[in-house]
Amino acid sequence: MPITFACATSHAPGITAWADAAPAEQKDRIYGAFGRLRDQLDASGTDTLIVLTSEHWANFFLDHIGAFCVGRAEKYCGPIEPWLQIDKTEVQGDTDFATELLEACYDGGIEPSFAYELEFDHGTMVPLHFLMPKMDRPIVPIFFNTLAVPQPSARRCLELGGVIGQVAARSKRRIGIVATGGLSHDPGEKNHGVIDSNFDRQFMSAMAAGNAERLGKYTRSELAGAGAGAFELLSWVALAGALNGKKGEVVAYEAVKPWATGVGLMAFPHAAAA
Amino acid sequence: MTVYALQKLIRDVNRKPAAREAYFEAPAKFAAGYNLTEHEREALLKFDIEGLYAMGVHGLLLRPFTILHKMAEPDYLKAIRGE
Repeated sequence: MPITFACATSHAPGITAWADAAPAEQKDRIYGAFGRLRDQLDASGTDTLIVLTSEHWANFFLDHIGAFCVGRAEKYCGPIEPWLQIDKTEVQGDTDFATELLEACYDGGIEPSFAYELEFDHGTMVPLHFLMPKMDRPIVPIFFNTLAVPQPSARRCLELGGVIGQVAARSKRRIGIVATGGLSHDPGEKNHGVIDSNFDRQFMSAMAAGNAERLGKYTRSELAGAGAGAFELLSWVALAGALNGKKGEVVAYEAVKPWATGVGLMAFPHAAAA
Repeated sequence: MTVYALQKLIRDVNRKPAAREAYFEAPAKFAAGYNLTEHEREALLKFDIEGLYAMGVHGLLLRPFTILHKMAEPDYLKAIRGE
């Protein structure tokens, strides 16, 4: 079955934690865009949602870092941040589909790690809070190492996405995919507060065009140039791999200074086209 | 790679309530449980954020650690920028 839903969103904690610090018109456009994506998800009939998300030292440390980690838990809990302005809640996992996905990855030459216990921080809970506020369908999270050098290459993320797309296409379930992270931001680092809108727009332009060739060529230094948080866009690159050239559209983009992040949301309404 | 131990200490303080309590109660005693160099131990106990950052402590470990110390964001940024 084709992918039933796909989108990409930023997950800056300020979106919920200090929402009103942003200019009202920016906040309204971003919240409105989340609402449009939520409506698309609701109308899609998606059974299980894959969430391609970022690790922020919530689950893993340097004692063991993998490039990708697939969640196989029956349920997850988040957010871990009491200040996020999102109520702590449970989210159901889809252990069977996670296993199906892992087996396909290993058969296809990609070996993500996996975990039966993962906690969610803002990186997963901000998008879920807006897209699936009732937490009423199971998810399979895939955490990307965006922190510890070396991060996975963009080319590898495309390949992972390609396997995800193939598994979704042959699954009996109706599979949706959310990629989350970015865009330009440098949290905790010297350029915190710097937003590179040119980088952000070029990246989203490649995503909108389904230009996997360009996306796969993003280098670590290019991403680092847009701030340490731009490595989170590797999840978007993986989504492009899953969509295999299908085009998308920018639903909103705002350089939100009080959130110190270039905030983007993209829809892929043709994801379901065979 | 002893910065590993330093980052491990900071991550433990950030993520583990019992470790956090022990650190704030007796920082030097808590630090003795980690294989830190003298340089690292001194920077930690003096709360030398510029020094800790320069040693390579990751920003997403260091900033939450400074928030626990109630350090305002502008002060943190000045510190890591060496201003």
